[in-house]
Amino acid sequence: MGEHATDEVGQHLTRRKFLALSAASAGAIGFAGLADSSAASASSAASTLRVGWTTPPDVMNPFTFTTTASNEILWLIYDTLMEYNLQLNPEPSLAATQTRSADGTSFTYQLRSGVSWHDGTPFSASDVKYTFDIMAKHNLGQAAWSLADFKSVTVVNPHKVIVQYKLPQAFDPSLAIPIVPEHVWSKLTPSKILSYNNPNPVGTGPYKFKKWVAGQYLQVDRNTKWWGTPPAVKSIIWNQYENSDVMVQSLASGQLDILTEVPPVLWDGLRGKPNVKPVEMDSFSFHHIGFNVSKNSKSRGNKLLLDKTVRQALGYALDRSQLVQLALAGHGVPGSVQLPPSFGKWQEKIPRAQQINNDPGKARKILDAAGYHVGPNGVRANKHGQPLSFRLIAIATTDEDVLAGQIFVKAAQAVGIKLTLETLDNTTLGNVVYNTNAPNWDIFIWGWDSGTPDPDYLLSVPLTSQIGNNNDVFYANPTYDSLYNKQATTTNPGERVALVHEIQKLFYDDAAYLVMWYQSKLQAYRTDTWKGWVPTRGGMIYNFTRDNYLKITPR
Amino acid sequence: MSLRYLAKKLATLAVTLYVTVSFNFLLFHVLPGSPVQLLARSGHFDAAARAQLVKLFGLNHPLIIQYFTYLKNMLHGDLGFSYVYRQPVTSVLGGAIGNTLLLVGTATLVTILVGVWLGVIAASRAHSLTDATITITSLGLWSMPDFFTGMILIFICGVWTHVLPISGLVTPGLVTGTWGHYADIGRHLVLPALTLTLVNAAEFSLISRNTLVDVMVEDYMLTARAKGLSRRVIVWRHALRNATLPIVTATALYVGMILGGAIQVEAVFSWPGMGLLIYNAVVQRDYPVLEAGFLIFAVVVIATNFISDLLYQVLDPRVRRT
Repeated sequence: MGEHATDEVGQHLTRRKFLALSAASAGAIGFAGLADSSAASASSAASTLRVGWTTPPDVMNPFTFTTTASNEILWLIYDTLMEYNLQLNPEPSLAATQTRSADGTSFTYQLRSGVSWHDGTPFSASDVKYTFDIMAKHNLGQAAWSLADFKSVTVVNPHKVIVQYKLPQAFDPSLAIPIVPEHVWSKLTPSKILSYNNPNPVGTGPYKFKKWVAGQYLQVDRNTKWWGTPPAVKSIIWNQYENSDVMVQSLASGQLDILTEVPPVLWDGLRGKPNVKPVEMDSFSFHHIGFNVSKNSKSRGNKLLLDKTVRQALGYALDRSQLVQLALAGHGVPGSVQLPPSFGKWQEKIPRAQQINNDPGKARKILDAAGYHVGPNGVRANKHGQPLSFRLIAIATTDEDVLAGQIFVKAAQAVGIKLTLETLDNTTLGNVVYNTNAPNWDIFIWGWDSGTPDPDYLLSVPLTSQIGNNNDVFYANPTYDSLYNKQATTTNPGERVALVHEIQKLFYDDAAYLVMWYQSKLQAYRTDTWKGWVPTRGGMIYNFTRDNYLKITPR
Repeated sequence: MSLRYLAKKLATLAVTLYVTVSFNFLLFHVLPGSPVQLLARSGHFDAAARAQLVKLFGLNHPLIIQYFTYLKNMLHGDLGFSYVYRQPVTSVLGGAIGNTLLLVGTATLVTILVGVWLGVIAASRAHSLTDATITITSLGLWSMPDFFTGMILIFICGVWTHVLPISGLVTPGLVTGTWGHYADIGRHLVLPALTLTLVNAAEFSLISRNTLVDVMVEDYMLTARAKGLSRRVIVWRHALRNATLPIVTATALYVGMILGGAIQVEAVFSWPGMGLLIYNAVVQRDYPVLEAGFLIFAVVVIATNFISDLLYQVLDPRVRRT
C-alpha cells in the first residue's frame, strides 16, 4: 500500500490519511472527553474482533484496489510468498523458505505443501507463476512497481518456483504481491481484470471473505484449513463510521475493540478512560512542502524557485517544532529528510546545527548574498526586479496543512518572501500538481505514506523516471538517479545503508522538499476484550504486518 | 379532474424531465479533468490497458454520440458503471435508495403527523400558554442544525444511557431471523428519524397553526359553533380541511429539501443512504454515481410537485375550475 496518497489521481495508492484525518478533525470539538466512564463493555461476541474506521474499502480486487482499507482486508484473505512480522522484518509466508542467489538477481521459493484455496482447489506453483506473469506483463495493479526489473518466473516443481530479475533486487518484490488463484483469474482478460470488482475473493489466507454490507461493515471468518497457527479471532468485522466522534464513543462504550486511526484531539480525550488504551506510535508518513523545480520550458511555475538558495531560505524561515505543536497538537516529530524515523537505521540523522530549519537570520543572510534585496514593499527581488512572490496551494479539508500553510506564509514574510495561500480540494490539487505537460503552480503542501517498510519506495519518488508518475516536484538529478539505482541493486545491507544515507543528504540539501513533520500513528483499543496487542512502528493494525490480528487472544 | 388538464400536466412533466436529463449529462461532461485519469486511478497501466478502459466506458466516442448512448441506456434502466466500485451504478444506488427511502419516508410521515397535530392543538388554543409553548419549542428546534440535534441525541442515547444504537443500519455480524433483522433495523432507525422529525416538525406545526388561526375567524366557523358542534369536530372536520392546501405545498417543497438535508443526518449516524453515497461520490469524483444521484433527486422533486398539483385538484374546487 504505497502512496502519494490520493485515491483520485493515477498514483500508486491512496491519499487516505488526509481525507480521514481532515474529516475527523473538522468535527472533533464537540465530543472529546465526553465518554461515559460507567459504560459497560458489552463485548457481545468474545470470538469476534470489532474494528472501527472512517476509511471505507473500495474493491476486493487485489490488482486494482486503491485504499489502505482494502489492503488491510485483502492481506488477510490472500497470502504473499513473504510477509512482515511484528518487528517488520521479512519472514516466509506462503513460501516455506526463500533463498536469494549470490548476485541478488534470482529468488528461489520453496512453497508450503497441502495448501488449498478457500474454494477447495489445491494451491500450486503455477498460481505463483500466473500472478507474477500477469502483473509484470500488463503492468497490472498496485504492486506492479516492484516488478520493474522482472525477467521471468520458472516452475521447478509444484512446490518450487524461481523468480529472476534483470538487476539485483535489494527489496524482495514477493513481499508486495498477493498470490491469486489461476483457476479464477485466468478466465478474465487483463482489461476485464481492471473493471472486475471481485465480489467473492478467494485466497489462501487465514481468513475467508464472508460478507460486505456496503457502507456498513465487512466481515471475514477464520479459514479453518489455513496452513499457519490458527488465530484466536473467529471473525473480524470492520465497521464503517462517517464520523470520528461517534466512532470514538463506540470504542469508549464497548461496541468496538480497536480503531485504525484516531484524530489527535479525540485521542487526547481517550486518556484515562477505563478499559481503553490509546497508543501513539511512529508512522511511515510525512507531510511536506514541495517546490515546482520543473526544467520543462512549458512549466508555468515561478522560475525563481529553480534557485536552491531561495528554497533553502524558505526552509530556514520555517520552525518545524512550532508546526508540530500547533498543527499536530504535539503528536509528531519535526521533519528533516524524506525517510521518517520509523525507518530506523535507514534514516539519515542531520545534526541540529546543519538542519535547514528555524534560522530566519541565516535565511536573510543567504538571500542577501545571492542578490535578493528587500524592495520598498518589504518583498525581496532579484537584480532584474523580479519579486520573490509565490503561489502556495494546500488541500482545504486537511486542517493541519492549511494551518501549516498560514504559519509558512508568516514565516516567509519575515524573511522578505511573499506567499499567497490558496486552498483546493484534494482531487484538484492532485490534478494541478501532476499536470506533467505544463505544471502551473509554485509551491504545495501535501504528504506521503510509504508503500513499504523498505526505504526503496519513498526514495523512488523524486526519480527523473517518476516524472509523470509519482514525482510531484519534477525533480530531475542524474546524481540522485544513479545513487538510487545503486542502492536498489546493492544487496549487502551495510553498503546499502551508507548509500541510502548519502541519497537522503543529497535530496535534503537540494531542498526540493521541505519535510514539515512525521506525524504519529494514533490508535486505541479496549483492554477488556482482547489481549496481546503489540505496538509496532506504523501501527498495531493498518500497517504492513497482519500479525496482531493473528496473535491476539481473548481476555 | 379533466383529462385535458392531466394530459397538459403530463406533457409538462415529460419536457421538464427531458431538459433535466440533458442538462445533467452536459453538466458532468463539461467538467474539467480527464475521466481517463480517474479511471486509471491505481496507476501504472500501460497505454493499451488505458485505451481498453476508455473503450470499456465508451469515452472514445464524440460527445453527441455519448449523449445518445446515455439516453438509450437510461431508457433501458442502465445508469452507467461506477468508477470506484466497479459495479453498475444501479446496483450501487439500489441499496442506498432503499435506505434513504426508509429513513426519509418514516421521518416525513412522522413529521407531518406530529407537526399538524401540534399545529391543530396550538391553533385551537390560540394565544394560550399551550400555544406559546408549542410555538416557541418548535421554533427553537427548527433553528437547530440537524447534525447538532443528532449529536445531542447520540450523547443522550449512546453515551449517557445505552438505550439505542447510534450508528449504522444494522448490528454488524448479528445473525437473527427475518423479524429479528427488521427489529434491529428499526432500533437503528429511531435516532436518525427522530432527529429529522424534531428539526422539521416545526415547519408543519407553524404552517397549520397559522392557517388554522386564520380559518377559525371565518364566518362559517361561527355558524358551525352556533349549530352546537363540538370544538373537536369544528377544528378537525371543518377548519383543517380548508387548511390542507398550504400543508400539501409545504410537503412538496419539504420532500425536495429533506433529500438534501438528510445528508448531514446520514453522515452523523453513518446511515448508508443516498446522501452519504453522493457525498462520497463527490469526494472520489465518481461521476457516473453523481450523475445518477442528481438525476434521481431531480426526478423525485419533479414527481412530488406533479403529485401535489394533482392533489390541489382533488382538494380545492377553485383549482378545478381554472
